[in-house]
Amino acid sequence: MVIDRRGFLAGAAGAGLAATFQPAWAQTKEAVRIGVPTGVTGNWSALGSQIQRTCRLFAKTVNAKGGIDGRQVEFYFEDTQGDPAACVRKTSELIEGRGVKLITGVISSGESLAIMPRLADWNALYLAGISGVGSLTAQNFVPNAFRTCTSGPMRARAISLWFAKSPKMKFFTIAQDYAWGKNSLSTFEQLIGGLGKQTVGSVLTPLGTKDYSSYIARIRQAKPEVLYVAMSGDDATAFLKQAGQYRLGEQMQIVTEVLDLLNTRPLGDAGVGLYGVSQYNYSYETAANKEFVRLFKAEYSEIPDTYDGETWQGLSLLAEGVQRAKSIDAMTVRKALVDLEIESVKGRVKLRGCDQQGEQSVFVARLEKSADASYPLPKIIETFSSDAVIPACRKDTF
Amino acid sequence: MSVLQLWLNLGLNTLSLASLLAMLTVGLTLIFGIMRIMNFAHGAMYMFGAYVGISAAQWAGNFWAGLLLAALSAAAVGAIFESGLLRHLYKRDASSFLLITFGLSLVLTESTRLGWGSNSRDVQLPEALAGVVFVMDEPFPLYRVFLIVFGLTALGILAIVILRSRLGLLIRSISQNAEMTQALGVNVGTIRTLTFAVGCGFAGLGGFLAVPLITGYIGMGSAAIIESFVIVMIGGMGSFLGSAVGSLLVATTQSFGNFYFPDLSLVVTYLLMIGVLLYRPGGLFGEEE
Repeated sequence: MVIDRRGFLAGAAGAGLAATFQPAWAQTKEAVRIGVPTGVTGNWSALGSQIQRTCRLFAKTVNAKGGIDGRQVEFYFEDTQGDPAACVRKTSELIEGRGVKLITGVISSGESLAIMPRLADWNALYLAGISGVGSLTAQNFVPNAFRTCTSGPMRARAISLWFAKSPKMKFFTIAQDYAWGKNSLSTFEQLIGGLGKQTVGSVLTPLGTKDYSSYIARIRQAKPEVLYVAMSGDDATAFLKQAGQYRLGEQMQIVTEVLDLLNTRPLGDAGVGLYGVSQYNYSYETAANKEFVRLFKAEYSEIPDTYDGETWQGLSLLAEGVQRAKSIDAMTVRKALVDLEIESVKGRVKLRGCDQQGEQSVFVARLEKSADASYPLPKIIETFSSDAVIPACRKDTF
Repeated sequence: MSVLQLWLNLGLNTLSLASLLAMLTVGLTLIFGIMRIMNFAHGAMYMFGAYVGISAAQWAGNFWAGLLLAALSAAAVGAIFESGLLRHLYKRDASSFLLITFGLSLVLTESTRLGWGSNSRDVQLPEALAGVVFVMDEPFPLYRVFLIVFGLTALGILAIVILRSRLGLLIRSISQNAEMTQALGVNVGTIRTLTFAVGCGFAGLGGFLAVPLITGYIGMGSAAIIESFVIVMIGGMGSFLGSAVGSLLVATTQSFGNFYFPDLSLVVTYLLMIGVLLYRPGGLFGEEE
């Protein structure tokens, strides 16, 4: 068949016209690109591992259903090693180098506080799903940052309310010597002081401390009835192990602000009876949580841990924000997140507009043997509603 | 707790901590003292030995199997590394060793992460070591007693080998004059490989022994190696006695410092190092340059 010049030009014009009027479903939308500057190595690498695996599961699950608002989800991971200066650098690389404007997965409060002042210049949005320092949504509040997890003051408040009914009067507090630990320690001491109870001693331990024997001697000498622990990561594991070896639990009740499987699994049965706040609990009965646990077990053959659940909740909120905004522009998504409310793995969660702190329940749990795993699991013994534990707007004290 | 009970408790804590520190540091000192190499992979060997030991203990259902394999695996990696790579760099300047041992550190760390994942790992103590002894009515973990006894024994054996055996004589001879020793018919290369392997083996052993206290985790080596370098500075480069005394001094500042001055204990350790170096730049038992 011979095609003459007119025929060719007509065909080309027709093809061009067809392309212009392509239906919307045939056009590919830009992906939702989420930056995750997190602790891949360093002191927080075990937490970083949870964050990364949950991000991957989230992307797999959401993308299989067509994405968010028809957009595929992509994650970009960077290693901060838990260092605030490195976190600023890596976040800057994500934002300025790769044009990723939605950020989550930062672990330590020091890192969060380091990047938050720069969010406005970067025109980026940050969802804090792990960092617990109270000032993040108080003195250090910035409009471009939301906290989707519970704060340290919320958890300290829950434990203090739980102890309000207890006859125990003498408390000793131990925390990691950085933003969140200091904040938690001072908040808890202030709260139990308000209940007429007494702090008989307190100590802040440097990050990376490995031998806690001297601190344990100090605790024993003070003869408290309760030991309040605000530690996480490898330090928490080391402390709880050594406390068990010195039979500290036989002398006093031990309560931890972060009852995390990461720290309690190495204790084995020696951890049974440990109390604390279970920030996320696999057994909490909500439809969203049941589905998350099902997906997680199918993918990783284990129960999701604290930071798996917190990360999933944060990403669920972000996804809903993008869906409602019908946009991936950071500031448009930001507006959609203000006062956003969803049913999440922890029940109802609302990003309170005045300080962008997630309103949610706080669970006090006790480590018990369970048929669901070969190691003790946290069983919820009391649930505190958000109203009971959340500080007033832009406050981190009560 | 009375003052006597307290000091006894802190003293025993000091000895157990010093034991752990010494296991890591004598390996570093051995390698530097004999081969004049500052092994930046020593912390990674500590971590690698811990992970191999944990897996071996789980597989065999036996803590002691883990202990043995922790040492042997780190020694094997050290031997392969020295004979395969380091040996070819002896004629070069010191910066080559710095870079290559740092490279090994990165490779070992990432290989461990790929092989075992990022989660911390633990080992079950045998029943004989899992209890407590009461020292003036205060509980003290049996495992820490074991650390004290094991540490003293291991260091004692090493000292006897270095100071009293023919092998030790050859090692010391090589450290003083490798060419002359070679000219006398000694296989210097083999002795160097053995020395590097033993040094790494001690690191692996130390790593596994630390697991029941702190669990095995990816960053454990980098935290430990900094303390080791401080101890080597205090005790003196290349001095075994210096490593032992340095470990004891650092353990003392940490144990007593964490109790009496918890806000300052880190500072006290570094002040100790600065003080020693001002008084004796070569360390307490090192050679003055």
